[in-house]
Amino acid sequence: MAQLPISYSASITLNVNGTDHQIEVDHRWTLLRVLRDVLGLTGAKRGCDRGECGACTVLVDGDPVCSCSMLALQVGGRQVRTVEGLGDANSLNVLQEAFLAEDGGQCGFCTPGFIMSATALLESNTDPTEDEIKAALVGNICRCNAYGRIIESVKAAAKSEAS
Amino acid sequence: MTTFKTIGKSEPRRDLPEKLTGEAKYTADVQLPGMLFGKILRSPHPHARILSINVDAARNLPGVRAVVTPFDAPKGQVAPDMPILDTEARYVGDEVAAVAADDEDLAEAALSLIEVKYEQLPFVTDAVEAIKPDAPQTRPGGNLVGGKPLTLIRGSVEEGFAQADRIFEETYSTPAHAGAALEPRAAVASWDGDNLTVWKSTRGVHADQLALSLALDVPRGNIRVMGQNMGAGYGTKDETRLGAITAVLAQRAGRPVKIELTRQEEFVAGRHRHGTTTTVRMGVKNDGTVTAVHATTIMDTGAYLSSGPGVIRRAGQGALYLYRCANVQYDGYLTYTNTPSGGSYRALGAPQGHFALESLADTISEALGIDSLEFRLKNHVGLEGQPGERVTPANEVLDTQPVEGGVPFSSNGLRECLQIGSEAIDWGQPSEQPESGNLRRGKGMGMFIYRGGAGGRSIARMRLESDGSLRLLTGLMDVGEGSLTVMPQIAAEELGVGYDQVLVTFGDSETTPEAPLTAGSTATFSTGTATKEAARQLKARIIEVVAPLLDTEPSNLQITDDGVEHIQYPERSVSFAQIAESAGEIEVEAAISPGSRDHVINSFGAHFAEVEVDTDTGQVRVLRYIAAHDSGRILNPKLAINQVEGGVSQMLGFTLSEQMLTDPRNGVTLNASFLEHKSPTLQDFPKMQVLFADVVDPVGPFGAKALGEPPSIGVAPAVANAIYNAIGVRIRDLPLTPDRVLNEIEAQRGDSQ
Amino acid sequence: MKPFKFEQATTAVQASQTHVDAAPNARFIAGGTDILGEIKEGILEVNILVSLAGLSGASEIISSDVGLEIGALVTLTRIASDQSIVETYPALAQAAESVATPQIRNVGTLGGNLCQRPRCWYYRSPLFDCLKKGGVTCFASDEGNKYHAILGAENCHIVHPSDVAVALLALDATVVVSNASSDRQMPIGDFFVSPDVNMLAENVLEPGEFVSKVKIPKPSSGTRSVYLKAKERQAYDFALSSVAVSLEVRDETITQAHVALGGVAPVPYSVPQVDSELTGQKIREVDVQAIGQLAVKDAQPLSDNSYKVRLTASMVARAVSRLISE
Repeated sequence: MAQLPISYSASITLNVNGTDHQIEVDHRWTLLRVLRDVLGLTGAKRGCDRGECGACTVLVDGDPVCSCSMLALQVGGRQVRTVEGLGDANSLNVLQEAFLAEDGGQCGFCTPGFIMSATALLESNTDPTEDEIKAALVGNICRCNAYGRIIESVKAAAKSEAS
Repeated sequence: MTTFKTIGKSEPRRDLPEKLTGEAKYTADVQLPGMLFGKILRSPHPHARILSINVDAARNLPGVRAVVTPFDAPKGQVAPDMPILDTEARYVGDEVAAVAADDEDLAEAALSLIEVKYEQLPFVTDAVEAIKPDAPQTRPGGNLVGGKPLTLIRGSVEEGFAQADRIFEETYSTPAHAGAALEPRAAVASWDGDNLTVWKSTRGVHADQLALSLALDVPRGNIRVMGQNMGAGYGTKDETRLGAITAVLAQRAGRPVKIELTRQEEFVAGRHRHGTTTTVRMGVKNDGTVTAVHATTIMDTGAYLSSGPGVIRRAGQGALYLYRCANVQYDGYLTYTNTPSGGSYRALGAPQGHFALESLADTISEALGIDSLEFRLKNHVGLEGQPGERVTPANEVLDTQPVEGGVPFSSNGLRECLQIGSEAIDWGQPSEQPESGNLRRGKGMGMFIYRGGAGGRSIARMRLESDGSLRLLTGLMDVGEGSLTVMPQIAAEELGVGYDQVLVTFGDSETTPEAPLTAGSTATFSTGTATKEAARQLKARIIEVVAPLLDTEPSNLQITDDGVEHIQYPERSVSFAQIAESAGEIEVEAAISPGSRDHVINSFGAHFAEVEVDTDTGQVRVLRYIAAHDSGRILNPKLAINQVEGGVSQMLGFTLSEQMLTDPRNGVTLNASFLEHKSPTLQDFPKMQVLFADVVDPVGPFGAKALGEPPSIGVAPAVANAIYNAIGVRIRDLPLTPDRVLNEIEAQRGDSQ
Repeated sequence: MKPFKFEQATTAVQASQTHVDAAPNARFIAGGTDILGEIKEGILEVNILVSLAGLSGASEIISSDVGLEIGALVTLTRIASDQSIVETYPALAQAAESVATPQIRNVGTLGGNLCQRPRCWYYRSPLFDCLKKGGVTCFASDEGNKYHAILGAENCHIVHPSDVAVALLALDATVVVSNASSDRQMPIGDFFVSPDVNMLAENVLEPGEFVSKVKIPKPSSGTRSVYLKAKERQAYDFALSSVAVSLEVRDETITQAHVALGGVAPVPYSVPQVDSELTGQKIREVDVQAIGQLAVKDAQPLSDNSYKVRLTASMVARAVSRLISE
């Protein structure tokens, strides 16, 4: 009879979008896996599982990170924010409205990741230049290459927030 | 001048809100009770016979619920050259066996317990080598698909070359590169007795339903394919073994099974653009008139055929049809190799073929002392089409990839594209050179032709529902190109209501009518035509039903946002809800085989690039890019601009940095990751201007033609020609990476000394 | 991933001891961006990951009269944006900024960046049993080597992937290595080792040892530095070739020079012949092209990477040129 490989689990408290969750995790589980498979927050996507595409971007203590490249056990005691914490389709926030108006997406798979990176940018810089927008979002790949519209969306959002 | 309610307006993308909030569900987001996770075992050898597979240890691992091997898999075919599982592995990454287990880590552990005995066989990884007579054979029938090239002829190239004052010939190569859609493909399968439901990344739920039915030998009516939001594909999510394997595992386990490919698997076992080597030979008169074009393409289909025949065909269309010429020939050699399989990827073979053709056009015009824009203005095919005699019978619909002459286009805005694009980039002004000597700037262009969207049979259904809603049902999948938004625009316009009032249901093989693949840029034209017709029928039916209710003739009635009203006495009206209440639900279905008996429907375009080459580092920067397109009437400008910009940016990857690299020693793909595949980032996105020719096609729905794929075609030639203009170095092999640019600069400097 | 235990260490002693006890199947983890990738790729099997993230005293940037001390847990984002680093050690800030993406830099640490494993595609693929993984072949020797080394490589042709290491080398940094009982320190050039010294590792760390901080001497006034990186796409790429230069200039004369090369050798690479050549020259008289050529004079390109010779020479010339015109 083949042996099950020994695996280790732990109980942790994960704070996601302001709510504490007590969960059992395998030591191997990435933050992305926990968000998607344990907490059912499927906004963050598994595009590569290697930190090379940004589709899994969430905010940890306000900073964008690739949740596929962090273990859940590394995140205990920190604040995690995902796209689900921003709003829903009936009440888009200013950033999301700007993306809608400027057509900032095509297939949408990269969109939650971009929204999180852009959220972090605008929280720390309310009037970013185009270069600053590009530098902040460069870790998010859009394979549809809607980059032009994405940049316009973030600019529009900054303008909206200002007015 | 027609004014439209919604056509021509940048209506917001219908499915974008839920994508912005993370609520949109993609296949990997599907969760079902009791769902298992599957993993696929893949061949580590480029070519091998599988002698035996021992799955005992894997099967006995606690938590493993199903296993399938080629020795016990159903004997069906996923494609003519691809059984569900096979006892021969044909490339590194080929599917060998699969397991389903309680979770992904267990499934992975189970894979490592499977013992496979392989007998390694001779293999070949290079297409040019593969068509030689002594090459290792990948298939019993030989490597060359069909045993001979696809040959297409109009007139006689011998005659054409005899008329030429000068003949030019060059050979160009393009790499395989991956579509690398951000969503790796995934499938979920669940059986309920004999009924199978499959959720998958797909661009054709009905095509998938049919494919699964044939592979699994299950009646089509027992299979339901639910298309989820798709994280794009650009064509590359053609059918693979994934759906069938997932279904078999689910059947054996008696529980739903999900398989999500890893990114690496998507690179290797997905589909990519075929690598090519193309030789173009052109005969011209001294005044620049083209007298003959003969293109030969060797194309690598990899281990499986997939859509290879369509791709090799399309690689020749530029040579056959872009330049007005009575004497043309195309020979396309499609060959198997023991490498990952090529498939459909945005514009198929057209970018490869046009790169060669449009690079040679520049070489020729320079040799003749003619401006390369002038050369194109002189020779581009016009509205009347190619010289020659029509071959297609008069009562038959014309191919949108014709070879014959004597068939005019329905519309042709190519000249306008050349004019507005060249103006926008100040074609007549050479680039301003920066002060530092190592940076050189230049301008280049490329023009192109592409089938205009008349695709397969398309059905659209429209309904006035019991609550008064107006709903469009289409089997079509929106893969990010915007059909979900444009189809309701068409329906709303035809009906006479506001865009927001038309609801859409899409992509469910059970509830939505048959639709072809969202492919070949055909959605707007084909499903759009069907949609328009369905809307027209619904409008007529509604008015017909209302006439007696309002005690008047149908001709006195018109549809408004709220319902139907009398044209002269608008207070005599009835709401949609009231109509449904009294007359019940009204449903119509329109089935269209789009196309024209009289005209060839094609889209056109011309791209212009200004680049800056750093001759010390080989790096190329695109300073500005102009994309001019004739795609008929633009139905949704913002979406269209996004589409064009996206296509251009994507193909800047093809041109400057992307390639799938196979190690010839063992067939391993070396760079199956986003990082190593070098796909464009936000920082690579250049300043871009999109222009549309003022053309309304007489055949397309509201005058529209294909736009999805054409933007992919002009990029490589525009940039390569611009680089030549900048540094006087002609590079004929893509991608134009820094090392290649530096090596070519050095080589060509050496030559001139 | 195969199963592993993740243990959060609270003290250096605990971290070190746990690592030693489980050697050779233990690894330290800080941010984890590189090591998780290796585990997922199947080229690294680990029983226990010992997290250094909880160690106190390793997350600070301390400026003093003698120089700067940067804790090994400081993130790349912080290094790229810290005022004292940006002003006094621009090459380091630029190198940190050039790494990957904001997401990676927010999590990746100084220590992790220095200790990351090579990106060589034969090393990273479990389907190649290469020298660095204990096999008998270097698959880059004869072909498929466009990203590989042109300097300092004999049997194995990896290039060291760290941008930060190259800048620190030019800035004459010192690496402090700690274990349970003590610290030892060494010039950063001695921290890295080439494959012929140790095929299976890229640095001198012994079981139980980890980088705890990096020290950079305070530069005299008149010192300027820069980091340039050539890539294949505009962003998120490892270097095809990179250069860090630090020059001390007094009275229009170069009084000290240190040039370091990245992306071209198995270790961050000093070119002392260039440093000597530059020292003593009047900045107006420097022939930057000649300096560039001198930097690559010992280059031994492979079948596909000769472009790196010209590229590196150009990059050195450009970096020096930029500094002498400051």
